[in-house]
Amino acid sequence: MAGLVPPGTTAVPADVSHTAHTKHDEKTDYMNLPCPIPYEELHREALMSLKPETFEGLRFDFTKGLNQKFSLSHSVVMGPTEIPSQSAETIKIPTAHYEFGANFIDPNLMLIGRVLTDGRVNARVKWDLTDNLTVKANAQLTNEPHMSHGMFNFDYKGKDFRSQFQMGNGALFGASYIQSVTQHLSLGGEVFWAGQHRKSGIGYAARYETDKMVATGQVANTGIVALSYVQKVSDKVSLASDFMYNYLSRDVTASVGYDYILRQCRLRGKIDSNGCTTSYLEERLNMGLNFILSAEIDHRKKDYKFGFGLTVG
Amino acid sequence: MASKVSLKTKGKGGKGSKGSDEKSAAQCLKDWSTWAMKKAKVVTHYGFIPLVIVIGMNTEPKPQLYQLLSPV
Repeated sequence: MAGLVPPGTTAVPADVSHTAHTKHDEKTDYMNLPCPIPYEELHREALMSLKPETFEGLRFDFTKGLNQKFSLSHSVVMGPTEIPSQSAETIKIPTAHYEFGANFIDPNLMLIGRVLTDGRVNARVKWDLTDNLTVKANAQLTNEPHMSHGMFNFDYKGKDFRSQFQMGNGALFGASYIQSVTQHLSLGGEVFWAGQHRKSGIGYAARYETDKMVATGQVANTGIVALSYVQKVSDKVSLASDFMYNYLSRDVTASVGYDYILRQCRLRGKIDSNGCTTSYLEERLNMGLNFILSAEIDHRKKDYKFGFGLTVG
Repeated sequence: MASKVSLKTKGKGGKGSKGSDEKSAAQCLKDWSTWAMKKAKVVTHYGFIPLVIVIGMNTEPKPQLYQLLSPV
């Protein structure tokens, strides 16, 4: 009993002082910085608000859970699909396909597989070997020769840093590292080398995050400068803006958007400097039943895309 | 013309001898790794989704076989 009391009394003052640190920010403890988010998710908040997955046509997704960990998904998509064309006008071909998927989600192992009617298989594996080491693999396989891609990632998470090494087909190698420098600021860098295209690149990124806002910046030697700022106005509303500049090809895009997360729906909208406005609504009709409306209007290219869909499960 | 023909045969003969030497360890390794990647790609293409289904059907609580096909 006497032995138990002293640790109790020392634990409580430490807790109080820790909350004093986080709330009043009097003194940062540089030995106990938080772990930063992964390098590829640097622009996560801006991407979630400004780039919803818009689609054109009908989309129907049905996910059926057989188990806590295992579920099957069926997805039907019907609509015009854009094919890349050299001329300024967009060429669309109506397509319809059915996609079958199987997901196995465990705390340590995640396996996601999707197969389409034309034989394409999309496979994702995430395996947590230990608390700190994760192996991820991602593959898109087709029946056409030389059109398949595969990528392996090895992630190591330290106390206040994350590092990642990736290898892909076509002799693609990459590495990235991100480190928490203060309580709110984290800095990182990445290098990649693509053997098949004989390209290599290096980039740097910074992310400043508080409870109310997130600001990120990324520079790469491929000529891209990307800045983003997301402000959380309240717990239902956040506003985001994004600026992307390519100093080699002199291409600039700026966009401003909003994200309303309400009880029954989630509404995201954005407007672009290319004359493109996008809106995406997900309405929860019932438990497990979601209705989706998507609209993307490009005034400059005169391309109007409207889509509707239903997600079950 | 005759000299050209003789040059050609010499070149071919030379290449033939070089070809048997060229199958060095590095070349063998590259050939085998290409063959292995091709087989791995075919195996993953046809076998990944059945693998996920087999792993899923063997976790607790075991789902029944009809649940795979029925929409309920």
